[in-house]
Amino acid sequence: MTTDLLADRVRSAVATVDDPEYPGISIIDLGLLESLDTTPDGHVAVGLIPTFSGCPALSMIADDVRRAVDDVNGVASVDVRWLGAPVWSVDRVTETARATMAREFTVAVRIGRGPVACPRCGSPTDERSMFGPSRCRAVHTCPTCAEVVEVMRA
Amino acid sequence: MGRTWTSMDDFEAFLDGGGIVEVDDDMPDAYRQAVFAFIEMHANSELMGGLTERDWIPRTPGLRHKMAVLAKTQDEIGHAHLLYMVGADLTVKTRPGMLEDLFAGRSKFHNVFHYQAKTWGDQVAISFLVDAAALASQQAVFKNCSYGPYRRILKRIISEEGFHMRMGEERMLRIAAGTEMQRTMFQQSLDDWWWPALQLFGPDTRPGDVLLRWHIKSERNEVLRASWVQKFVPLLMSYGFTIPDPGLTHDPAADTWTSGPIDWEPLKRTLAMGGPDSARRIADAAANWADTHWVRRVLDDAPTRAAGTAA
Repeated sequence: MTTDLLADRVRSAVATVDDPEYPGISIIDLGLLESLDTTPDGHVAVGLIPTFSGCPALSMIADDVRRAVDDVNGVASVDVRWLGAPVWSVDRVTETARATMAREFTVAVRIGRGPVACPRCGSPTDERSMFGPSRCRAVHTCPTCAEVVEVMRA
Repeated sequence: MGRTWTSMDDFEAFLDGGGIVEVDDDMPDAYRQAVFAFIEMHANSELMGGLTERDWIPRTPGLRHKMAVLAKTQDEIGHAHLLYMVGADLTVKTRPGMLEDLFAGRSKFHNVFHYQAKTWGDQVAISFLVDAAALASQQAVFKNCSYGPYRRILKRIISEEGFHMRMGEERMLRIAAGTEMQRTMFQQSLDDWWWPALQLFGPDTRPGDVLLRWHIKSERNEVLRASWVQKFVPLLMSYGFTIPDPGLTHDPAADTWTSGPIDWEPLKRTLAMGGPDSARRIADAAANWADTHWVRRVLDDAPTRAAGTAA
C-alpha cells in the first residue's frame, strides 16, 4: 500500500465532511482544506483554515474530519489542526460549491467588487445589510424578482 | 407580472398539484393573510429568541460555548431580519408595523419565549429540547411549503438550526457527564422546560386546517409532537434523567412512548401574553429597539456606497 493511495483515500474522506450550516457542501469545496500530509506508516496530519476566526463550528468540523479520517483503511493516527495562515477568502470557494449554494440555498458568492447577480434571476442585487445571520454573509434583495438573497463574502 | 386564478377551487387545485406561489402572484387574500401570519409569528419568535440568547452571552460558561452563543444570537437576529423582509413583501403589514405590533403585545411569538431562562441548565434544556422541537416544525413546513420565498429562506434557516441542535446535544452530553450538582440543575431545568417545549408544537391540528389544506404546513401538530416525545424520552432516560410526565406510557411491544394528558392552559396564557415572563420580555424587546435607534439612524443617513466599494 503506497502513501499516495492513502492520501487519496484520506482526501476523499475529508471531502465527505459538509459545512454544518450548508449540508451538501463539502468543506473542501468551501476551501477549508489547506494541507494534508501522510506518512508511509499511516500517520495523517490535516491542516484546515477557518472562514472566520471566531466561527463557532470549528470544533465540530474538526471532530467530523477526525471521525471521517479515522475510518479510512490504513490510517494509524490523525491530527487535525486549525491553521492561522493563510487567511481564507471567497476565492477559495469552488465553482461546484458556488453553483450548489445558488441552486440549493439561494446564496450568492461575491467574488471581487462587481455587482452580485441574483441566484434566482441573474439581475444585479442591492445590498440591504452588511451582515446577515453570519459574519461571512451580507443581505441583498433583488429589484427584479424581489428575492431576499444572502451573499457570502470575504 | 404574476399569475392569477379564477376561483379558490382553481387556486387549490394549483396547490394540490404541487404549485409554488410567488410574491407577485395574484393569490387569494385569505391565503396571503394565512402565509403572512405564519411568517410574522416565525419572525417574531426568531427576534425574541435572539434577544434571550443575547442575554446569555456574558453569562455563558467557557469561551467555546460563549463563542457559540454569540454566533447563535447573530443567527437568530439574522433570521428575523430575513423573515421580516419576506413578510413585508406580502404587503399585509410593513416591517415597522410588525415590530410595533410585537412591542404592543398585539402579535404572537412562540410560547417558549414567554418563560424565563434562570440557569445555564435552562439554556441547555432550551437548546436541546426547544431547538429540536422548532427544527422539527420548520422541517415539516419546508418539506412541502407552497409559498416560494418562505420555502427558500427556510432551507437556509433549517441548515443553521440543525447546527444549533448539534450544539444543544453537545451541551446536554456535557452536563449529563458532569457533577451531581450539574445533573441536579439539569433535572430541574427539564422539569421546568419539558412541557413548554412539548407545547411548542401546539394542540392537535383541527380538521379542515387551512395551513394544511394550502400546503403551508405538511404535517399535523400531534404527529410531530408524538415523534419528538418518541425521540427524547428514551434518550433522556438513558442518561438517567426523569421525564416530568406522570401519565407517560410505554408500549413494550412496539417500544413506543406516549405522553400523558396535556394541560393546554399554560399555552393559552402565553398566546394571550399572560405567560410568566411575557410582560418583561416584550418590554425588554421594545426598550432594546428604542435604545438602538441611533444605530439605524446612522446607517440610514450614511451615503449610499457605490456598487463594489469595500465594506
